Amino acid sequence: MAFTIEQIQIAAYLGAGLCVGIGAVTTGIGSGIIAGEGARAIVKQPKANEQIFRTMLIGQAAAQTAGIFALVISMLLIYGRSDSIEGGWFKAAAYLAAGIAMGFGSVGPSLGAGYSGGQACKSIARMPKHGNAIMGNMLIGQALSQTSAIFALVVSFLLLYSIPNQPVDISLGKLIVKTVALLGAGLCIGFGTLGPGMGIGFVAGKANDMMGRFPDEKSNIMRTMFLGSAVSESTAIYSLVISFLLIFAL
Amino acid sequence: MDLTLAQGIVKASALLGAGLCMGMGALGPGVGEGFVAGKACEGIARSPENASLITRTMLVGQAVSESTGIYSLVIALLLIFST
Repeated sequence: MAFTIEQIQIAAYLGAGLCVGIGAVTTGIGSGIIAGEGARAIVKQPKANEQIFRTMLIGQAAAQTAGIFALVISMLLIYGRSDSIEGGWFKAAAYLAAGIAMGFGSVGPSLGAGYSGGQACKSIARMPKHGNAIMGNMLIGQALSQTSAIFALVVSFLLLYSIPNQPVDISLGKLIVKTVALLGAGLCIGFGTLGPGMGIGFVAGKANDMMGRFPDEKSNIMRTMFLGSAVSESTAIYSLVISFLLIFAL
Repeated sequence: MDLTLAQGIVKASALLGAGLCMGMGALGPGVGEGFVAGKACEGIARSPENASLITRTMLVGQAVSESTGIYSLVIALLLIFST
């Protein structure tokens, strides 16, 4: 099949659609969890309504981060790419893979940040006096769960801008290997961030919940949260390593 | 070394398999270890006097759940470098 410039465009638009489409689903669910828990918290503790409302909005903004990353990658795929016939199948595969990586990569972190923010709202309703400590812990926990979304963003940027043009005299066998390796890299980091994102979100959510019940144990709870999320993050780092190998070592 | 079409397809499938293997393989350990750590936070908050015991149990449990993630890593590396 002769390669035409339309094939790069098809891959880029398909990638852009998948990216923001999948990313928007879970970002919406995550923000929705926070809003729901926030509304329930205000019913339980109407006196703290301003504090809960503020926490809810800040938590939602943090939970949207991964969705915004997906939007940025989509925009870059639509307007920020360089179409040239020399790019060949390498560029087409890289654009599709960039969309897949960031789209699936935003699923876990959004859900995790949503759970964490929801538990923070619930916990402020129980202990409005310690609201600031709980909100600080919520932001730290959400930042931890967004780290895996940042891994996906890094891989997407590499796929968008650091893939060379297809060499002219490449054999068909090598061409297939390289294009499929790029798609594999996108799938690897996309699915690989799902588990760690949700897991760290659960840790942060439980930590927020317990800060509201036992505010005196703040330092112990935070230490366990950091230790536990660092260990959960390890599988996301393995996926990042495999993605880099698939992009650069072949 | 130049690849024939058939060899290229074999190698390409191995690489796609490596990506899917590590991607899906990271899902379970990530969620599982997060659950362990979340419950450990809860436990330490409820009974802080047992903090060191709970932290030890958490780390041992996470190390065991990590094992499947490491299996995926090993298989992915084998698929990339030895096919």
